Amino acid sequence: MSDERPIAIDFFEVHKSFGSKDVLRGLTFRVERGETVVVLGGSGSGKSVLLKHINGLLKPDSGAVVVLGRGVSHLNEPELIELRHRVAYIFQQSALFDSLSVGENVAYPLLEHGSLREDELDEKVASLLTRVGLAGTERLQPAELSGGMRKRVAIARGLAVDPEVILYDEPTAGLDPLTGLAIVSLIREVTRESGATSLVVTHDLAVARELADRIAFLEEGRFSFLGSLSDAAQRPGSVGDFVRAGGIHV
Amino acid sequence: MGLAGRLYDLTWRRVRHLGSASLLSVATLSSMVTPPFEWRAVLVQLEGIGVRSANLAAVIALFTGMVLALQTAYTLAAFGAKLYIGEVVGLSLVRELGPVLTALMVGGRVGAGITAELGSMTVSEQVEAVRSLGADPIRKLVVPRMWALVIALPLLVLLADATGIIGGMVISTWELGLDPSFYLSHVLRLMEYGDFFSGLGKSVFFAVAIGIIACYNGLTAEGGADGVGRATTNTVVAVAITVLVLDFFLTKFFLWL
Repeated sequence: MSDERPIAIDFFEVHKSFGSKDVLRGLTFRVERGETVVVLGGSGSGKSVLLKHINGLLKPDSGAVVVLGRGVSHLNEPELIELRHRVAYIFQQSALFDSLSVGENVAYPLLEHGSLREDELDEKVASLLTRVGLAGTERLQPAELSGGMRKRVAIARGLAVDPEVILYDEPTAGLDPLTGLAIVSLIREVTRESGATSLVVTHDLAVARELADRIAFLEEGRFSFLGSLSDAAQRPGSVGDFVRAGGIHV
Repeated sequence: MGLAGRLYDLTWRRVRHLGSASLLSVATLSSMVTPPFEWRAVLVQLEGIGVRSANLAAVIALFTGMVLALQTAYTLAAFGAKLYIGEVVGLSLVRELGPVLTALMVGGRVGAGITAELGSMTVSEQVEAVRSLGADPIRKLVVPRMWALVIALPLLVLLADATGIIGGMVISTWELGLDPSFYLSHVLRLMEYGDFFSGLGKSVFFAVAIGIIACYNGLTAEGGADGVGRATTNTVVAVAITVLVLDFFLTKFFLWL
């Protein structure tokens, strides 16, 4: 990791508990601007909790989270809303609004924050849907879409505000391998075109192999490994076991 | 965990729920009266909450009015006071049965619907998506439903009052042989504006209670479809109990006014 690029995401000694369960225990790491970090870890290891700290959906019990130069813990609601314009979150279940059409879903953040005229809005929505390979689907309802299409719409909605950071929560979960690969290709393309910093949470090693500049392995509330996938495969213990079990060998 | 520990745990959980629901109430009520207002969303909710509940409210009130007239006539006949059926039916409906039965039935239907809808949105991360897209779930999801309830429930109570009185008229005319105009004049004879306003006033409080209970249970649902089902059941039970308990205190309050 070079020292020259500015830092997009900075966690310092972050602790988070839910009741008696300590989920994050002194998590410390940094992500540079434009970098793609894939966070790996078993189910329930706190990967999604980590993501939710980045756009302020959760606040740490202690420690500091700094995103794009703003200390997230100390932001009030209007400041958090401003930050969320710059940080897109692609949810595991896509989280499309069932009562809105595909076009309205994609237009939602633009209507919330923008001042586009109706024709400009339609044009922008059409171009976003084209970008994710779903041109002409504006009038469809989310219930009419396949899992892969829902993910694409969620990505289009996330891209609507030209985010500087994109957070992907299990982007291939519940998809067949081919659709999963197509989503991974789309993410790679989006990352290349936008130059956005990406944090991808997954337990799918194919995602890590295709996207990661670095991988981070979350274990017992901390990163037990930060580095390249090939380095991880050489490690003894749970990190190496996890990576090798996914078919990745040195 | 021993009995004392479980009791402590249960009490603490209840206190936490009460605290969270109170915070939601404060945030909701303040968002209801401060801009920006989502009037289009309120209209959509009014259609679902108000218009689609009208048949239910009317049918229940119609048959309640009919049963009330039958029972009242039977009781009053013992005192030779059958002619006063209009006063009893009118006042009972307008002051008590109209608002309470409408709140119970519509509250059950609408409250369950709101909890199920918001609960599904919560467990499928849609509520978090609203927040992550920079919007406020209370303004977007709770406030339109609250306004729709506050507007619709008093109107439904008026509808229920009217249909209930008509139900009473049907029985007093067909079964008891009273003239409809005689019955209606007796309905209005003792009724004052205050009777109407106490019924309508109650319905506003009921609407707020139903809305907060339903939205709170929906927004705190967890655990997938099973959790949404539990939250919905909790709403129906809590709405029924709250309406009846609140009715007692509101009756005292409006009598005191």
